[in-house]
Amino acid sequence: MDALENYVYTMVSCNHCGQCKWILGPKMRGWKYAEICPIHSRYHFDAYSGQGLINIAQELLEGELKYEDGLIEHIYTCTTCGACDINCKSIRDMEVLDTILALRARCVEDGQGPMPEHKECARLVEKDHNIYGRPHEQRFDWLSRDVQLSEEARVVYFAGCATSYLHPEIAHNTARILNAGGMEFKVMHAGEFCCGAPLWRTGQIEASEKVVRHNLETFRSQGIKTVITSCAECYGTFRGFYPRIAELDFEVLHITKVIQRMLKEGRLNLRKNLPMKVTYHDPCLLGRLSEPYIPWSGQIKAFGYHDPPKLWRRGTNGVYEAPREVLKAIPGVVLIEMTRNEENAFCCGAGGGVPMAFPDFALWTALERIDEARSTNAQAIVSCCPFCESNLEKAIGTGNSTIRYYDLTELVSNAL
Amino acid sequence: MTLAKHIYQMLESVVGPEYISDREYILSAYRRPMPQIDKKPVSPQAVILPGCTEEVQAIVRICNRFHTKYIATVTSLMPMAFPSEPGTVILHMKRMNKILEINEEDRYTIIEPGVRHGQLKPELMKRGLSYPVASVGPGASVLANFTSTSGDHHVQHGTSRTNRYLLGLEWVLPTGEILKVGSLASDAGWFCPDGPGPSLRGLVKGWGGQWGSLGIFTKIAIGLDPWKGPKVMPAEGHSPSFKVRLPQDCHRMFIFKFPTLDKLRDAMIEIGKAEIGHAVLKFFNATAALLATESANDFWELWNSGLFQRELARPLYVYLATWSREEMAYEENVLKDIIEETGGEEVDESIRRIYKDNMDFFIVVGFLQRTLRLGGGWSPTKLSGDSISHMFEVGKAIPEFMGEFIEKGLILNAPDNWQIIPMEYGHLAHIELLFLFDRGLPNWGAIPLAFMKKSAETDIRHGYHASMPPNSQSLMEQLGPLYSNYHVWAMKIKEAFDPNMVSNPLP
Repeated sequence: MDALENYVYTMVSCNHCGQCKWILGPKMRGWKYAEICPIHSRYHFDAYSGQGLINIAQELLEGELKYEDGLIEHIYTCTTCGACDINCKSIRDMEVLDTILALRARCVEDGQGPMPEHKECARLVEKDHNIYGRPHEQRFDWLSRDVQLSEEARVVYFAGCATSYLHPEIAHNTARILNAGGMEFKVMHAGEFCCGAPLWRTGQIEASEKVVRHNLETFRSQGIKTVITSCAECYGTFRGFYPRIAELDFEVLHITKVIQRMLKEGRLNLRKNLPMKVTYHDPCLLGRLSEPYIPWSGQIKAFGYHDPPKLWRRGTNGVYEAPREVLKAIPGVVLIEMTRNEENAFCCGAGGGVPMAFPDFALWTALERIDEARSTNAQAIVSCCPFCESNLEKAIGTGNSTIRYYDLTELVSNAL
Repeated sequence: MTLAKHIYQMLESVVGPEYISDREYILSAYRRPMPQIDKKPVSPQAVILPGCTEEVQAIVRICNRFHTKYIATVTSLMPMAFPSEPGTVILHMKRMNKILEINEEDRYTIIEPGVRHGQLKPELMKRGLSYPVASVGPGASVLANFTSTSGDHHVQHGTSRTNRYLLGLEWVLPTGEILKVGSLASDAGWFCPDGPGPSLRGLVKGWGGQWGSLGIFTKIAIGLDPWKGPKVMPAEGHSPSFKVRLPQDCHRMFIFKFPTLDKLRDAMIEIGKAEIGHAVLKFFNATAALLATESANDFWELWNSGLFQRELARPLYVYLATWSREEMAYEENVLKDIIEETGGEEVDESIRRIYKDNMDFFIVVGFLQRTLRLGGGWSPTKLSGDSISHMFEVGKAIPEFMGEFIEKGLILNAPDNWQIIPMEYGHLAHIELLFLFDRGLPNWGAIPLAFMKKSAETDIRHGYHASMPPNSQSLMEQLGPLYSNYHVWAMKIKEAFDPNMVSNPLP
């Protein structure tokens, strides 16, 4: 992992343009739903923003800012959704999100962070290999007898903690879809540990590296060449974090891409009519933050020239089209877009360890997103992430809203 | 320097504990140096987020009572957004963000300071209305662009400059008195900036916007133009490679090059006389290359090819926007005649394609901040307004001083990186020279002031009206006598409006 010092160029380049807080120009649709940063929307001070957090990083590094009461809470309120990062990168060559993550890692190294709830999460992962502290042997309780596995397969379905323990129906539907599409796959059983996302994104790098190395070794020992997941957090972590630890010799696919391919190849047939108006929520780690991380080390020369040239992750090639094509292929489903969509999707509030440490703010963020979903007059909000599901369903449950949440796998499975 | 506890508590009683802070980590976001300046801004003592005019007034009165200085800001994009002196509190106007009214019949809108271009522009587009968005990016404050830090936009030729559209104004004076300007003062609504009674529009910018400010604007009305484009921004693709294309039957973009600046000037004047065109401008060429590329490395590849230097040394951008095909045919024919008469020809198709695919250049200029992509060392200068002919005279004199800086390797070799934007069909024009410097150079902080000084000296030597009043006492005293001692009058006005000198006085 890059040290905080490696991001000084980003810190000194910021000119307060505000792009990290507001919707991209081409995406603008009106007064409402124009803010893109959850913490800035809620708390308003500039310190609550990508700009603010990199300013804090710079002052900490320079010794001007000391660890004072409230600073750690402030740093960890951010959901690390990356909207600031992608929006900044539309116009600048800066690494805002990586600076924020390096700031968190520095807080942990300095013994100041993370939040107690995140430390507890790390303890549970160490003990039970999942973020909930549930028995490891229950991880594959979702696996029913009707799921066909192939022990010779080089394709593994990685369910992840949230799916396995909180939303097992996602795993079951995914397996059903893979079987229906003729995809031979296996699962890791006890070999599957937490992907490491909640530890990485709370700055607990050492702890996250342990599970990463374990999973990598498990894949290697099983000769895995393709990892399929239905969790956006796991997907984005495999693509965005794992390459920082080791070179990957397998491809990572999200289930939406697999379904898209199966539909194109005629291996999957969606027959049943599901008449409903839906809107689609782009999970951060499936959308704007899902491009593969490519290590770069070099010099930033005069006038910002990167030597050697750097391949930037600007969110251009996130998984946006696949889920939409799949939704449109389901008979009866009508897709209506929210204003803040694709690379400018507003966070659901579930990332960065926020629900653990700041449940009120996580809920506030989710309520904002549900409000936006309802503004489309859709009957349902659809997404592809169990973390998004948990948080958005919590928001739906607190209000009088009649909007429903569906994971995409449920709709596809129902349409088979 | 900490804000005294009793003052903090009084301010807190106005806005509530959630909307005021003096925590160092909160203040850190309001005192980081801008990448183009090597001096660190003064740290505020506290940041306050007022929610309405009454709260602003209460805060200002407290500041007057205790001689606590204050400054209002929204985006803090420009260096003048920061306190000039220690002992200042910042009023961050973000919460005052309502669009209070859009009057489609009389064509004006009333807004608070926190409304951004990325919010107002699309709301108006839905209604077939528009306004000249200052080229500053979608996150910037509309009110700031129409009052304190008024900026220019690419479509001024067929419309006008931001501050020309300013109508009624609600103003919390430096003492805390609320002043309503224009027709608003007579309870006659927001439609007129000037009467009955004396207009104060000339004072709105004060000494130079937030430098030596004259209080806080809490509501303004701005006049609106018709919008001939689609109701929704027609963007395709993903960031950063969006395409924004407008229907070609009524929206066409041309770029011509000219053998001499005089011929370019003549074409610009003739187009104005013919009263055609929505946007006409001579644009920067290095900035154009920055806007057209998606990384610093991409810029260098393009810049080193020499294409933009060759094709865009003396360019004329023309955007025709019409209501009908017939009107387009007419305007295009007139344009072609003028270009032929003045010796212009179209630039390379690859450059024209860039703009046809990115018509946002004429809408909200969402990617404007790419200008700063080369590490952030940049500065505009000149920034004046006068006749088109005079602005071209100023432009022709640029090589007299710019060459020295280029030869010494102090700035990017881009001698044609300046723009002229006419307004109101050629009634007036704006000039801006943008120079880019590398922050890795030793003593880079001295470059901007040295360059601006040379630029101003050239203007003085020639008797040119080209330099914006600088935030430098010595330069102001040098320029002041040439402009009817404006600096003396500005200070008298400041003293009258701000007797306690609490509204962010110049140091």
